[in-house]
Amino acid sequence: MKRVVLSTLLSLLLPLAACTPDSSSSSNEDAATQPLVTSAIPDQDPEKLQRLYSKLADYLETELGVPVEYKPVTDYAAAVTAFRVGDLDMVWFGGLTGVQARLQVPGAEAIAQRDIDADFHSVFIANTNSGLTPIDDIAQLATLKGRSLTFGSESSTSGRLMPQYFLEQADVNLDDFKGEVGFSQSHDATIQLVEAGTYEVGALNEQVWNSRVQEGAVDLDQVQVIWRTPAYYDYHWVVNPDVKERYGEEFVGRVQAALMALDPSVPEEKEILDLFGANQFIETENSNYSQIEDIGRAIGKIQ
Amino acid sequence: MTLPAPLFELRQVTQQFDRSLALRNITLQIFPGERVALVGSSGTGKSTLIQLLNGTLLPSQGEVWALGHSLSQGSSRQRRQVQRQIGTIYQQFHLVDTLPVIHNVNAGRLGQWSFFKAAVSLLYPLEVEAAAKALHRVGIPEKLYARTDQLSGGQQQRVAIARVLRQDPVAILADEPVSSLDPELSREVMALLRELVQEMGKTLVISLHSIELAQQYCDRIIGLRDGTILFDIPSFALSAERIRDLYRLREPG
Amino acid sequence: MTRPAVDRPSWLTPRSRWGLIVLAAIAFSLWQARVFEPNRFNVGGIPQLLRFVQASVQPDLSLDFLQLTLDAAIVTFAYAVCGTFFSIVFGCVGGILASEVWWVSVLPRHATRPIWLGIRATLAVPRAIHELIWGLFFVNLFGLDPLVAIVAIAVPYGAIVAKVFSEILDETPRQPLIALLNSGVAPFTAFLYTLLPQAFLDLLSYTFYRFECSVRSAAVLGIIGAGGLGYQILLSLQSLRYEQLWTLFYALFLLNGAIDFFSAWLRRRLGSPSRLDLNLRKQARSRGSGGSLPDAHPARQPPERDRWLVAVGLGGLLLLPFSFWYVGADFSKLWSARTLELLGDVAQTAFPPNLDQSQWQLGMVAVQTVAMSILAIAIAGCGGILLSFPAAHTFFLPGGLFTPAQPSWRDRVLAWTGVLGTRAALLIARAVPAPIWALVALFVLFPGILPGAIALALHNMGILGRLMAESNENLDPRPLVALKAQGTPAALVFLYGVLPMTLTRSIAYILYRWEVCLRETVIVGLVGAGGLGRLLTEQLSSFDYRRVVVTLGWFVILTFGVDWVSGAMRRSLR
Ligand SMILES: Nc1ncnc2c1ncn2[C@@H]1O[C@H](COP(=O)(O)OP(=O)(O)O)[C@@H](O)[C@H]1O
Ligand SMILES: [Mg+2]
Repeated sequence: MKRVVLSTLLSLLLPLAACTPDSSSSSNEDAATQPLVTSAIPDQDPEKLQRLYSKLADYLETELGVPVEYKPVTDYAAAVTAFRVGDLDMVWFGGLTGVQARLQVPGAEAIAQRDIDADFHSVFIANTNSGLTPIDDIAQLATLKGRSLTFGSESSTSGRLMPQYFLEQADVNLDDFKGEVGFSQSHDATIQLVEAGTYEVGALNEQVWNSRVQEGAVDLDQVQVIWRTPAYYDYHWVVNPDVKERYGEEFVGRVQAALMALDPSVPEEKEILDLFGANQFIETENSNYSQIEDIGRAIGKIQ
Repeated sequence: MTLPAPLFELRQVTQQFDRSLALRNITLQIFPGERVALVGSSGTGKSTLIQLLNGTLLPSQGEVWALGHSLSQGSSRQRRQVQRQIGTIYQQFHLVDTLPVIHNVNAGRLGQWSFFKAAVSLLYPLEVEAAAKALHRVGIPEKLYARTDQLSGGQQQRVAIARVLRQDPVAILADEPVSSLDPELSREVMALLRELVQEMGKTLVISLHSIELAQQYCDRIIGLRDGTILFDIPSFALSAERIRDLYRLREPG
Repeated sequence: MTRPAVDRPSWLTPRSRWGLIVLAAIAFSLWQARVFEPNRFNVGGIPQLLRFVQASVQPDLSLDFLQLTLDAAIVTFAYAVCGTFFSIVFGCVGGILASEVWWVSVLPRHATRPIWLGIRATLAVPRAIHELIWGLFFVNLFGLDPLVAIVAIAVPYGAIVAKVFSEILDETPRQPLIALLNSGVAPFTAFLYTLLPQAFLDLLSYTFYRFECSVRSAAVLGIIGAGGLGYQILLSLQSLRYEQLWTLFYALFLLNGAIDFFSAWLRRRLGSPSRLDLNLRKQARSRGSGGSLPDAHPARQPPERDRWLVAVGLGGLLLLPFSFWYVGADFSKLWSARTLELLGDVAQTAFPPNLDQSQWQLGMVAVQTVAMSILAIAIAGCGGILLSFPAAHTFFLPGGLFTPAQPSWRDRVLAWTGVLGTRAALLIARAVPAPIWALVALFVLFPGILPGAIALALHNMGILGRLMAESNENLDPRPLVALKAQGTPAALVFLYGVLPMTLTRSIAYILYRWEVCLRETVIVGLVGAGGLGRLLTEQLSSFDYRRVVVTLGWFVILTFGVDWVSGAMRRSLR
């Protein structure tokens, strides 16, 4: 009996001990074997993120010839900070967090995005009991005044920044809503709370909304889309300039090429693209996010 | 001469605790108006006997009758009816320290009061005059609203007596009521107890450490040793030999 | 007819004055929470709530997930061990330095009051800030290292421990210490030989209590990526996988329950039955009666060589290296040059504080925070008091104060169900982290202060109820037995005995916990309640550290205020 317990315990411990971060040894190790640490903001189902990024890490490892590791993060701000401190080398950021991260790390570059990110949308959803009906013009957002509203996470581009921006375009301020505006912390929670009727209106990532509807996880009798925002740039990969020192000047270019080389006709690579919800990765650059930066500054999310 | 019905009666009572046998096979009757002292060294079962008399303990074997009712039978409501007629005073006072004196005194009436009345009285003391009278009787009228834990030991014992006065029971039990007090206070409290009992014709069962006090204030003395009754005699019949017997160490073997 | 010798005392005692203030504060908070407006209840969310509750009977028990849960539980446990270890180390040093008695011994001829009061005041700063905020701060220094979670627990807890330890030391009788000092022994040695051994049991049992709290904090800290049960809970919650959520909850219940049980067992063995005495012992000691109290308060005896205790002690010592190894934090970061450099960076972005905003407006926001904390602690306190009676095993179980002398078989079953059921409810209430309660509350309540207060209240009720149940169990039974012996019905024994004997201590616990509620308003931000917590999360996510400093300053001020009020109220209770 004792032996069984001990061996189970050990079998549980060993892999863990093996993957506990061991950065103290990194300095005296050969730079080439030091892994490239990737991460992603926790914008959706983390289990899916874990699966997705493990596959991606495997792919990048073979393409780039350096070890690649995925480190999950559960807080938007913590992801940005860890990127600044240098614990994360390459992160899948949202529009806003990407800008925040680049501003804190001079020399950081936006290198790639999905084809859909160049044309990204948020949706406003409403509980059907609220009596709100779909609108077709941004000015009509004014009808939301006096209703209760929830965003997702404070730093979310699609779940907060852009919806707030479009609201302000229609002259609707956060003070105009009933009570305080909520921050549900995730797109899924936004759907739930609007479906429950706790908040009459919610704003979230269109991609998440569509996949929940497809999965049948949403009761469309309770909640419906009332408005789709205009397009904006959202998610993208940001790389820390440190990697150039570690793996050579041309490394960033190689990463970019590897991402864009993901080929939908190769089954394994298609799987990765599918998990990202993309047909392919395309090139991007810092200047694509200047609108986001301006809005971020105007709203106070960027200092 | 026919005796009146006994107020308390123990019929072959044995009290067994987890490890020790506190009382064995005790048979005893106490009649109205008697003043009975329980004496014996500590650990001989005096407190146990008093707890049996007021219904705190139920005997392991045998039966305890009080005021014509068996304490081990009947509903708990019926037992409470009997218990209302029995007041108890303890060595360590057993008052609720954090309450003002008046509530501890009025607590004597809780057997009679309705829940509502009791609750109101906690916020706005009721029957203040009666409580004041009881305190006056025990000599500390000025402490009516003082917090109980700010009183000295002697004063606290007076509060405990005042509580029994408010209860106005038929019988008063006292478990070493003066052992925590200095000799002067002891005499005062004993005198007070006797006065009250004599004036109001109550029955008194009191356990005492001091044989002198027992002889001085009681008319019947029960000597306990090792959980059995060694003697049960009028106090004038107590001899030095009996006392020696009572406190003699148990012979080895 | 004798007239009472004394007049009725005036209604306006310090106590009743505080009572009125409390009632007014609660009424004000209720008004702030808009409780008096109609339609606070959201019927539409009941299906969601049901879905959440339903999942409790079908947790995810697949082998993979169980394995993951087990691992997460060990991680959380290990974090708690490491965090507690450091907080006790900080706490011992800080506790000595913040105690009056230390300074009186070291500088006997000086006015030392300003020194230790100053140190005590400084300790309010780390205490005012929630573990989670500390965590986000330490990510700036240590990156994504397990060290973050350990230090995030250790800093605020160290300050709390220091405060409590200093109070324990000051409460311990000083005569032996003074005797040694007068014979020329150095202060530290004198401490080592007198006060510390005297206070050891109190310090130890408080340490166990801290450990229980650390487990709960470690669970919440998972949120910033520290891993463990909290992390997994957050993951499952974000994707609304309720079945998995419940598996994790059950693991939390087991972990919390086992630790609470174990710590109670140890403390009983050590002869120190109470987790947290809150300085009420001074009162007990000064009680006039003299004379030894025979049965009710068994004299604390130093434990004899208890083989079990030794075994457990050794096991506990082994847990420490195991936990450090399991967590795998990089402690070299604590003193590395890089950390110092990063600290400089943060300081640069955080100072000077940005005082542009209207402080008046911030004050109004602070009022909301205080209102939420008052409401939370009031609900938690009332609920805790109510549940603490059925949860105490001395009242309703066979042989208890309120049980019939010869309980029937049915009575026994009912009694046990009642006691165990209440305890389970309290365990669930405290094991589930407050942000989860917030989401649950949001399903059925409209956003605002109320759901936040309810979430905090549920969590803290579990903790308070447990503490109070324990103090109920340690109650001196004799006055109650005396009341019962004179034929008092159970309800009135409760009213005139149990309630007055426990209420003071319960209120002291509540006041002590209020500070915690204030700090925790930060983590229920999702309820849309506004307040400083909301502001802080917004500023943190905007990396607006200059304003973060100001908001934290407000938290510190509020903590001072709460400390002061709660101290004054506790004094009026004595
Ligand atoms: N509640 C109890 N549980 C176990 N043993 C008890 C209890 N109460 C009394 N005893 C034991 O019963 C015996 C008689 O005790 P007690 O009646 O208190 O004696 P006295 O009052 O004469 O000093 C002692 O040996 C005591 O240890
Ligand atoms: Mg006795």
